Amino acid sequence: MTDKKQTYTEAIQRLEAIVATLERGGMGLDETLKLYEEGADLLRLCKTELTAAEGRLNELQLGEIEAELQAEEQ
Amino acid sequence: MTGRGEVTTGPLPIGQFVQLVKQTVVRDPLFKNQALRGEVTQWKQYASGHTYFSLRDKDGQMRAIIWKGRCAIDPSIKEGSEVIVLASLDLYIQRGEIQLNVERIEPVSVLGELEKKKRLLVEQLRKEGELDRPRHMIPTLPQHIAIITGAGSAALSDMQRLIENRWPGLRRTVIGVLVQGPRATEEIVRGLAAARRLSNPSVAKKRGEPPVDLVIVGRGGGSPEDLWAFNLEPVVRAIIASPVPVVSAVGHESDILVSDLVADLRASTPSDAIERVVPVLPELYYLLDEFEERLSVASRRQIHDSKQLLSILHARLRVAPMAGLNRAKAKVLALSSRIQISTNQSLGLQATRLAHFEASLSAIHPQRVLERGYSMTQNADGDVLSSSKGLQVGQKIILNFADGSADAEIKKTHTDEGEK
Repeated sequence: MTDKKQTYTEAIQRLEAIVATLERGGMGLDETLKLYEEGADLLRLCKTELTAAEGRLNELQLGEIEAELQAEEQ
Repeated sequence: MTGRGEVTTGPLPIGQFVQLVKQTVVRDPLFKNQALRGEVTQWKQYASGHTYFSLRDKDGQMRAIIWKGRCAIDPSIKEGSEVIVLASLDLYIQRGEIQLNVERIEPVSVLGELEKKKRLLVEQLRKEGELDRPRHMIPTLPQHIAIITGAGSAALSDMQRLIENRWPGLRRTVIGVLVQGPRATEEIVRGLAAARRLSNPSVAKKRGEPPVDLVIVGRGGGSPEDLWAFNLEPVVRAIIASPVPVVSAVGHESDILVSDLVADLRASTPSDAIERVVPVLPELYYLLDEFEERLSVASRRQIHDSKQLLSILHARLRVAPMAGLNRAKAKVLALSSRIQISTNQSLGLQATRLAHFEASLSAIHPQRVLERGYSMTQNADGDVLSSSKGLQVGQKIILNFADGSADAEIKKTHTDEGEK
């Protein structure tokens, strides 16, 4: 159920690693470009996750939500 | 007549009668040091230090007094408290009223019994391993939070306000339930069941929203009795059974409930729950922006470094032939100096050789031969004559001795074979 969240956390961790590697320096042009592209992809993914968390605000009484759920299950 | 006799035979003065009753009442062991239970009413503590009240239940009541300093009085005792007293019956003569002289008084808490049940439940959960079972991880970015709490409560509006401050528009479903009173337990359990259904992906899909991935269950502060539903087994079991992480957010900082012990996260208050599970959106964006900046700066520098390395290599390539020449020059120099040295050495050697040669030459110098008594003959041209052949009579010759020479003329020649 938390697959997406794990992805966000993992993405952040991977981003940290990529930035640290690039900042340490010493790799070739090819590897630099590869890491940069991976980092940029991860950034896009994280931003998408942030917008995905916004949505509807439901405020219901217990009876109302139960009735809704029951109606949906039929 | 003194009247005394008459008194004993006539109607009894009321005072004497009351005293009689008192003696009887006080003497009866049944009315001494009796433990009694009831509710406190008309509780009054006077400045004199005495405390007056009535002890009652639905079937009856009696006045009671705690004389100053007689016993310690629990400060929680108040109007309506359920207490147990240790008291003896007494009679207040001036009023002819029966009252209880209280020797000890203790509040009977409903809580006492509840506490006992709570401890038993905790013990049971510990035995079952529920207290140290592995917990669900709280999602970094909750996609859909279910909040189970009192509808319209202060706790709910605090939580809503905090969420809006931290992550405006974060998706959430509030399930309003009764959080105190006799129906609270049942409603909280049903609220948890509804949240569980909302966490089911297929139900969520039908509703057109992501499944609930985090549940907050709680309420604001109140008396221990008000919070008690969160200490009861049905609520506790429903929290344990939740397939998604549950945050227990009940009461104040100091209230520890069984729900806190089994939840995936214990928040000290409802507001604390929000602060611990709802990230601050601008901070998240800031973090991402920072990563973006660092990523691009580091990449650019890395590319720049690579370019610089290339240009250094290029420059080195360009000067490489010159370097070869210089090397050759240096080599030639080194070689020539070595040649010089070896030439000098060989010259020295030859000089020595020459000296030796000179020495050996001087050993065979004609002068030395002459000194030994030989003489050397030369013709007029200076040629050394070593044979008599070719000599002409009358030819002028020079005879060389060690210390001089003499001119001579050939008179006659001889060979070893005979005269010519």
